[in-house]
Parts: sequence; C-alpha cells; structure tokens
Amino acid sequence: MHKILHTNLGRALFFTALGFGLFLASNRIDELRVYQGATLAMFVVAISSLILLTGYSGQVSLGHGAIMAIGAYAAALARIHWGLPVWLCFSAAVVVAAFAGAVLGTAAARLSGPYLAGTTLALAVGLPSIANQFHVLGGEQGLLFDIGQPPSWLGADFTSYKWYFWIGSSACLITLWWLQNILRSRYGRTWRAVRGNEVAAQLCGIHAGKSKTLAFSVSSGLAGLAGALLAMTISTVSPSAFPLSLSFTLLTGAVLSGITTLPGVIIGAVTLVATPEIADAISQRMANSESVTTNLPGLLVSALLILVVLFVPNGPVEQMRMFRVKARSHTKN
Amino acid sequence: MYQFINTVLNGITSGAIFSLMAIALVLVWRSTRVINFAQSGMALLSTYIGFECIQRLHSFWIALPLSMIAGAFFAALVDTFFMRVLFRRTADGPISGVAPIIATLGLLGLIRSSLGMIVGNSDASIRPPVSNVGFTVSGHTLAFSPLKLMTLSMVIALMLGLTLVFQRTNLGLALRASAYAPEIARLAGVRVDAIRTIGWALAGAAGAAAGMLQTPNGNGALAPDSLEFNLLLVFGFIAAVIGGLESLVGAVVGGLVLGLFLAFIQYYVSGSLVFIAAFCILIIVLLLKPKGLLGSKAGRRA
Repeated sequence: MHKILHTNLGRALFFTALGFGLFLASNRIDELRVYQGATLAMFVVAISSLILLTGYSGQVSLGHGAIMAIGAYAAALARIHWGLPVWLCFSAAVVVAAFAGAVLGTAAARLSGPYLAGTTLALAVGLPSIANQFHVLGGEQGLLFDIGQPPSWLGADFTSYKWYFWIGSSACLITLWWLQNILRSRYGRTWRAVRGNEVAAQLCGIHAGKSKTLAFSVSSGLAGLAGALLAMTISTVSPSAFPLSLSFTLLTGAVLSGITTLPGVIIGAVTLVATPEIADAISQRMANSESVTTNLPGLLVSALLILVVLFVPNGPVEQMRMFRVKARSHTKN
Repeated sequence: MYQFINTVLNGITSGAIFSLMAIALVLVWRSTRVINFAQSGMALLSTYIGFECIQRLHSFWIALPLSMIAGAFFAALVDTFFMRVLFRRTADGPISGVAPIIATLGLLGLIRSSLGMIVGNSDASIRPPVSNVGFTVSGHTLAFSPLKLMTLSMVIALMLGLTLVFQRTNLGLALRASAYAPEIARLAGVRVDAIRTIGWALAGAAGAAAGMLQTPNGNGALAPDSLEFNLLLVFGFIAAVIGGLESLVGAVVGGLVLGLFLAFIQYYVSGSLVFIAAFCILIIVLLLKPKGLLGSKAGRRA
C-alpha cells in the first residue's frame, strides 16, 4: 500500500480508483448522505490547505474562513457577470484567493511571529463590513451562486446533490493528489526546512520569507477552492456563510487530522461534518432551549480543539504511529 | 474648526481604549511570547462580571475595579492551569510554534460559547455612569461628553499606575527583566514563572478595563457574540503592531495614532470605511515598518 503511494503513477492510479469507488457509492446512498458527502469533500480541501500551511510551513492562519470567502465571491462574480462554465469559476476562485494570499503573505507571512495569525484574524472579523462596503458583493444578502442543472447525459434521475457530490469529490481528489506531489517536491522540502529551523534553512540558500509567502499563497488558493465548493453546496455567498467560527472549526479539523500529516485529514473532516448532528442530538435530548442549541456546536468544537492541542498535539494519527514505533523498538531491545 | 476639535477628542478617547487592549496584548506577548487571541473573550467575561456587579451594587465605580480583579484572576488561572501545561506538552515538536496560538483561539471559542449558553440572549447592557451628552462651548455642542472625559481620565490613571509599577517597584523590575532575558532573570533569583503569571494578570485587568469602558461608549449592549469585542481585539492588535509589539509606550502611542486616524476617516470620509482603513494601516505598517513605529532596528526574533 505504502509502496504504491511512493510512485507518481501509483498515486495517480490510487486516486483515480478512489474516485470511481466514490462515484459508484454515490448511487447507493440516500440524498442527505450524498449532500453530507459534498460537505465532507469541501472540508477535506479546506483542512488540507490549513495542514499545508501549519504543518508543512509552520505558520498559522486564524482566518482561513475569510480566505474561503474570497474564493467563493470570486467564483460567484465570475458566474454572475461573465457566465463562465463551472470549472472556470472554480479556477477563478483558486487564482483570486491565491493572489489575495500572496498580497497578505508579502505583508505578514514573511515576518516571524504572530503577524500572520493576527492579520488573518483581522480579515475574518472584518469580513462583514468589507462585504457591506462594496455593492458588487451584495451586502448582507450576498450573491447567488447557481452552478446550474447537472448535464442531461447523466440521466433524468441524477439530482443536484449528486452533482455537487461529484464535483466536490473530484476537486477533493485532484487537490489531494496534487498536494501529495507538491509536498514531495522541492517546494515541500523547502517549506519543511524553514519550519524545522529557519536559520539553518537560510544558510542552505533558501529565502525563508519567499518560501513562507509561497506556502501561504498556495494554501490560500486551496482555501479559495474550498470556499467555492461551500458556496456551491449552499447556493449562496454571504458574510454569514463564512463566520469567524468557520475559521475556528477548520483549525479544529486540522488539529484533529494531525497538522503535520496529510493522511489524517479524513478524520478531521468527518468530525466536522458529524459535530452539528451530535450537537443537535444532545441539545434535543437535554434542554432544547435556544441558547443551548445555538452555542453547543461551537462549544464542542472549541473544547475538542483545546483537548487535542493539550493531549495529542501531533494529532491522533501521528500519535498512534509514534506508539507503534516505540513498541517496535522495545521488542527489538 | 469644531468638527476638527470633535474629531481629535473622540479619536484620542477611542484610541485610549485601543491602547488599553494593546497593552494587554503586549504584556502577554512580553511575558510568554504568545499573542493572546482569547483576550477579547476574557474581556467579555470580565465585562459580564462587571455587569452583574452593577446589577447588584448599582455602582459603576465599584463594578469597574471588581471586574478588573476578576479579569486578573481569570487570566492568572488561564496561565497557571492552561498555558503552562500547554508549553510543557508542546515544548518540542513540529507544532511548538503554533500550538499556543491555536490554543488561545480555542479558549476564545470556549469562553464565547459557554457565555452564550449561560446568559443566553438576555439583553444585558451597561448604562453610562455619567452623562453622554456633549459639552457645550459658546453655543456649540461638542461630541466630547463627560463620559468620554471620564473614559480618558480613567485610562490615563490606569496607565500612570502601570508606569509607576513598571518603573518604581521591584515587581516592575522583575517584570521587565523576565521579559527581556528570562534565563538571566532566573539566574538572578527572579521566579520567572510567577512573574509571567503576574504579567498575564495585569493583562487580564487591562482587558477588563478596556471592555468596561468600551461598552458604555458604544451602544451599551452586551452580547456573547458581540462584534464589538472582536473589533476591540483586532484594533488592539493593530495598535500593538504599530507600536512594535514589544514596548508598552509603543502600545499607547499605537493606540492613539490608530484612534486619531480612524476618527478622521470616520468624520471626514465615511463611517463605513473605518475597518478597511484600519486593515490597510496594518498591511502598510507590516510592509514598511514591521518592527513598528517605535521599534528598534535590531528587534528580537520571536
């Protein structure tokens, strides 16, 4: 299994096979699960963008939700004003968000310290006031993002949820495949070198500031894609779809995935999709008062974030691996 | 002319509150090398405690110090039982640099959602303790009111107190020493861990004061999901960055500069541009003077 993933062709084949498996599965499960599958794909893309930034380049963004919003607005504007086909809208989301990331990154990411965290947090806090300022963004109501009906050759009983799921999971698989490649490339090694020891990396001729800015820009591009996927599943783009709590949620997902390992990403994404349902179940059984219902998901997510950072800071997957390595070395001795 | 005076006075008042928040952030940054993004949540909690005190004791003047004490106490608890454990557990490892930041964000979420659960959507509000109708000077009503004067003088008094502590007491010396060179301070017999907790406590008190003074200056309403406290955190952060993150004087100057600038934007350009202008200032300062307006050239690496 691991050997297959170590070659380029092997990785491509693996992800294609995974994709076919998912597509076949989507015909067998009910609509709600298909819709949740689309949300899951969105979270996988968003979390892996954060893992790339935090785990592989050692920076942290507290406002990735706002960067997702940038991508979503770009996609919606491209759709409304130019009527671009869907895949071009998604490309526009990636490009615009990556560009915004490059601008922010030039200011904040090249500096060491908490600057990137604070700047992205500021962006997330101010998103509603920015959206209200420009009429083209549609204010509080936001914009419609309608990707249209699924193509007719897919058959008459092919629902839009299924169409969302297909688009979402294709985007997600392409992202994961591409990330596996770039993290094994020169860039991935450079990012890890800067994260490990900035001074030593600079001695090797790496420009630390540029490397960090590039990592932030790439991560922003992926977050933009995730934003467009989120906008697709809810058909609108508005400030309330990208609240501050979305950024918190993504960080929780990333920490749960183990922010230094990409394969754990599915754990984080599944948890994020399941949390609102669990919160719903608890609040229905318990009090069923409004203040509990609205705040329980946030409480669960932030409690989870704190517990994971305190007790398994490298994430459950990495922790398991370390246990196994330890156990193995014990038996050898 | 009156417009100009109004703008300057209001700018200084709101800038003074930003300065308090910036001081809170800088105090924590100097003592533990973390920007405490939970500061807005901690300020919110202390302000709620202040509100409860007002309900029971009917006096803003007793509630203010009580809420500051509560804020200091809570911050000290957070440092002792949460941050210290966290630093121990993530001391080495790939995410040691970002774990504290993520943890403070988790704390912010935790405080806000638990507060939301406890107080629900009951409408809490803090009424101005003194009149908020502007002074009248030769027929013109200024926007500067007794409330703003009170706010400004409270902030100045707090800052004077803090300066005295930092410059004239042994505690202040220990605080400065453990921020500047923790290892050497430890060798000199300073209990750096305890001093750090005191730094957190001072920051908690400053944040509480910022929250208590900001609320009646705004629309007075308190809500667990209030945007106002998040904006206070963001503006405090921008003020701290303008001042160079390291120095308390810088934080005060940064707050005043930001307050004045935003007041001029608000009164002369457009009120809805305030946030965007603040964000632009942040980007420009980071691009041109990343060590802050007062920062030395050889600023230390974080």
